[in-house]
Amino acid sequence: MSESTQLVPITVTVNGKAYQREVEPRLLLVEFIRATLGLTGTHIGCDTSYCGACTIIVDGDTVKSCTLLAVQADGSEILTVEGLEQDGELHPLQQAFSQNHGLQCGFCTPGMLMSSLALLAENPDPDIKDIRKRLAGNICRCTGYQNIIKSVQAAAKSLRED
Amino acid sequence: MEMKFDGEFKIDLPREEVFEILSNPEKFAPLFPTFHSMEMKDERTANLKVKVGIGRIIATSTTELTLEEAVPPLRARYVGKGNVMQGAYQMVSSFDLEEVDGGTLVKWQAETTLVGKILSIAGGGLRGYAEKEINKLITSLQEALSPEAQAAKLQAQAQYRGWFSRLIQFLFGTDKNKVTTPENVPAATADSVSYAPHPADAMTIKQESKQKIDHILNAKRIEKRLGRKEDKRLITGRGLFVDDHQPAGSLHMCLVRSPYAHAKILSIDVSKAEALAGVICTITGKEVAELTQPFTQIGPEPSALIQDFCLAVDKVRHQGDPIVAVIAESKHIAADAAQLVEVDYETLPVVITCEDALKDETVLHDPAGTNLTWQGVYDYGDVDKAFEEAKHIVKIDHLKFHRFSSTALESNAVVATWDKRDEIDFFCNTIMTVPIAMIAPALNVRSDQIRLRTHDIGGAFGNKIGNYPYMTLAALASRKAGGLPVKWVETRSEYMQAGGHGSERNFYDTEVALDKDGVITALRSRHVDDCGAYPRYEPLGCVIWAQVLPASYKLRNVHIDFSQVVTNKGPCAPNRGYSRLPHMWFMERVMDICGHELGIPADEIRLRNYIDEFPYTTPNGCVYDSGDFVAMLNKAKEVIGWDEWKEKQKQARAEGRCLGIGIGTTLDSGTNNFAQSQIINPFLPFSSNSVVSTIKLDLDGSVSVCVSTFPQGQGHETTASQVVAEELGLDTDFVHVKTGFDTERNSHSGTSGTYASQFAVTGLSAVHGAVVKIKNEMKKLAAHALEANEDDLEFGIGEQGPEVRVVGTNKGVNYWALSNMVNYNKASLPEELREISLNVRHTYVPPFEAPDLEKKYGNLTLTYAMQLHIAVVEVDTDTYKSKVLDYAIVDDCGKVINHMIVEGQVHGGAAHGLGAALVEIMPFDKEGNVLAGSFTDYAPITINSMPDLKCANTETPSPFSYNGAKGMGEGGGAPLHSISAAIQDALYDKGVIIQHSHNSPMYLYEYVTNKLMEPVTVESR
Repeated sequence: MSESTQLVPITVTVNGKAYQREVEPRLLLVEFIRATLGLTGTHIGCDTSYCGACTIIVDGDTVKSCTLLAVQADGSEILTVEGLEQDGELHPLQQAFSQNHGLQCGFCTPGMLMSSLALLAENPDPDIKDIRKRLAGNICRCTGYQNIIKSVQAAAKSLRED
Repeated sequence: MEMKFDGEFKIDLPREEVFEILSNPEKFAPLFPTFHSMEMKDERTANLKVKVGIGRIIATSTTELTLEEAVPPLRARYVGKGNVMQGAYQMVSSFDLEEVDGGTLVKWQAETTLVGKILSIAGGGLRGYAEKEINKLITSLQEALSPEAQAAKLQAQAQYRGWFSRLIQFLFGTDKNKVTTPENVPAATADSVSYAPHPADAMTIKQESKQKIDHILNAKRIEKRLGRKEDKRLITGRGLFVDDHQPAGSLHMCLVRSPYAHAKILSIDVSKAEALAGVICTITGKEVAELTQPFTQIGPEPSALIQDFCLAVDKVRHQGDPIVAVIAESKHIAADAAQLVEVDYETLPVVITCEDALKDETVLHDPAGTNLTWQGVYDYGDVDKAFEEAKHIVKIDHLKFHRFSSTALESNAVVATWDKRDEIDFFCNTIMTVPIAMIAPALNVRSDQIRLRTHDIGGAFGNKIGNYPYMTLAALASRKAGGLPVKWVETRSEYMQAGGHGSERNFYDTEVALDKDGVITALRSRHVDDCGAYPRYEPLGCVIWAQVLPASYKLRNVHIDFSQVVTNKGPCAPNRGYSRLPHMWFMERVMDICGHELGIPADEIRLRNYIDEFPYTTPNGCVYDSGDFVAMLNKAKEVIGWDEWKEKQKQARAEGRCLGIGIGTTLDSGTNNFAQSQIINPFLPFSSNSVVSTIKLDLDGSVSVCVSTFPQGQGHETTASQVVAEELGLDTDFVHVKTGFDTERNSHSGTSGTYASQFAVTGLSAVHGAVVKIKNEMKKLAAHALEANEDDLEFGIGEQGPEVRVVGTNKGVNYWALSNMVNYNKASLPEELREISLNVRHTYVPPFEAPDLEKKYGNLTLTYAMQLHIAVVEVDTDTYKSKVLDYAIVDDCGKVINHMIVEGQVHGGAAHGLGAALVEIMPFDKEGNVLAGSFTDYAPITINSMPDLKCANTETPSPFSYNGAKGMGEGGGAPLHSISAAIQDALYDKGVIIQHSHNSPMYLYEYVTNKLMEPVTVESR
């Protein structure tokens, strides 16, 4: 940071826990989450907001956290992949991805999970077209997407039967 | 050994109700913390199975739990007896109930007595263990007795079968199903500055979506078995990719890269960069040239004379060529400082095409004096004679396989630490051990000074072999920075410039001889590969393709003049289907073009030419192990509904629509014979292949396995544990495979890695060999301990956990005890058993011979997996956009070890092929500017553009692997073949012959408008 940079205090709640930090105004939200808070489940796969590996949920909206500055998230409530597991128990969506082989290397998976969670929150019974449309901003280079679609469908079914 | 515990708790339920639960074994037993299952022996006695264990040694123990005393409503007393780990235990627990304040005070006592060997397992640790387990029992008892639990029980009675599962459902439901209301959400404090861009009128919608997220997040959770061993960490955000590794005190490296494709470096000024606060140091090419040796070149002279350092020294050779490294306290400071570095260039003429490179008018590497890195002729059979006797000769002027990349989502990255003891640690995402052989000589260090390790890798697809120059540079940076860790994480834009793309290939002057039936008898062609600015792993690609020389076809007479050049484009690296994929595409194009010219349908011409006997020795001595192309074609036709599509195609054509059907047959050759590298350079000291695995019973008897691969999503932990578990008669939960690679595990060889579709053969053979070895050791020990004959022993799980036992009896010895004999109790062993370590290493070596270098003849790979794809594509005649209407894949990779993983690999390989065929290309302009400099330009295939794949498989076991499996991870890129074929078929009445592997709308438009077409002719006699 250059000497003249002023730090800005921000407060965010991430996965239910409140954090107060002083950040550079230029710090990206994804860098804040990864490097400042040490929550490295959210990944960076490109520089142009194309890949979606950094997708998180901010105040109920899915966002690519490389497109927001940390200071823009001041006062917000954030959910990252680390917030899906509760007390050591996996969310049905996480289980569905594993059981349907919806991940291989796992690098895109956190973003996929967050986008899928938001999809299912809005639409408990999505058809394949809905899934394709909603996940079009998340790139996976391993699975060819077939099993990601299957995973989301399986999660939807399991959540509906809940 | 005796242990006593006691305590009391109060519960808000009448004493009678508490007693009712406590005095019912059927209700009490499931409260045991590790309860597994139970059966009621009689009214008072339950036989229950519980899991008992210390650390990793977990056994299922049968306990007989009897209600010995029941004095309503005052007292209940249970006695539990069981066997565990070659010992016996008894637990007496009693409960005395007193009425207090409308509730009940439960006073409890537990006495545990242990006899036998279990005591020696953990000794004093057992008291703590037992206390913890008893506390858990009491806690679950308290929870079960709570009024809420009782209420929930009544409510849920109709819904669930078991009492215990109802309880679990309720316990989980109580706090998890609570919906966070807006009032609970903390608002931003009034005086804090908010940069959030949300307009006030969106607040209601926002609250609704927040509630929806909270609601779904709080869904019920039920434990289920996961798909792969790797998954848990990856779905919870606990994976450890290179950038996730953040050791304290880490510094960050940012690179200054060339904006020009070809230029002399006149001067570099780093003074302003070094003056910026937070900058530790900089490194320039000049310094690198002084401190390091140029990287080893694989090719023979003159390409061996190329001087390749980790930074450009006096000349840049592609856009993005790194010139200066800036090391700073944060990545932002490093990036700021990199912008302050001033470089003066003098631009040079640029070489972009193979044709220009071959002219050598502008030479990239002066010491080599030529752009040609390799040239050789592959000649088999009697080509001239076959052409003389041919009925038809098809001539194809030029075919071109384009540059693209599988673009793993995680880019190249490394954290390097060159500490003051001169040890170099690389936490990185390279994918084989070859980089050690590149880095150690460059840095003038011994290979054992280098620790190379990986953890999770975010895909690689071959590309990350090209990471070693950056690893070398980061190590130098760490040394210069005083031994602190230096992290470098390539940005996506850097990757698009220089991160290692698949190479391009041109096929010139192809001539194909065919007999009267359309059977190809000979082929003549000249192939030129373009490997970018630095050869690095090349020119190995100049021989790798020869693994599949005749592709899937019977032709015996082949003459291919193969060469490779450097150009002013980013350096290439192996890319999924490395070198074979361009050749397979070429051969499939040849097949379809010949079919087109001679009027033979695509399926028919293949049936006339397919190899139909296995094992089959190709003209250059490769042995195709097994397969059945005809069966695959029939199956693929069935899967896609061939006849129906043929009908639909007629109809579409009648309507003026361009609908085409294309077949792609491909091979995925796996397990390299490294001796093929000597065909490139006879001085290379490489031959065959070796892969190592280690297995041990750890100090507590847990089964610990290391594989010497660098998995990136292929599920090696899962499949390796399957092999071990099957041999030992265990569940895979008992087998622990270390994540990633680490030279310090001493489980590698010089050719270890994840490449060339080989794990199912080499990796699993190594694991299998290791488990066989350790079984022999375990048998010897068990025979001694049990006073039994080795031949009378079997492996399995008993009441004491994983064990070796006398066949058909419960006389056994568990893994803990075996390990204990070796690790702690050596004196108990007779002299001849003291050598046993229960820590074994096995090296698998495939049965390869050295090839005949003169004739370029020999077996280059061990196994050949096959895929057959059929694509149905419609081309829009207004936009020339192709749409995949249907897609079928039949895969044959021999014996399938794990269907789920194999299908995942098939899908992934298909996605790369479809992406490359339809959208992905790395173009350059004539100045050598990278035109796809980001993902936004490159646009890797998305879920929206990916068609549904209809998959099936055939299984022809390989005779050359112990398990009948064939490596299959690379897939062979069949969509490139099938899409080119289908589009050619779609545009049949426009006279289009597809000559490029890339088929985006601009290309198709140019075919139709005759700008792209090069001559194809046929001579018939």
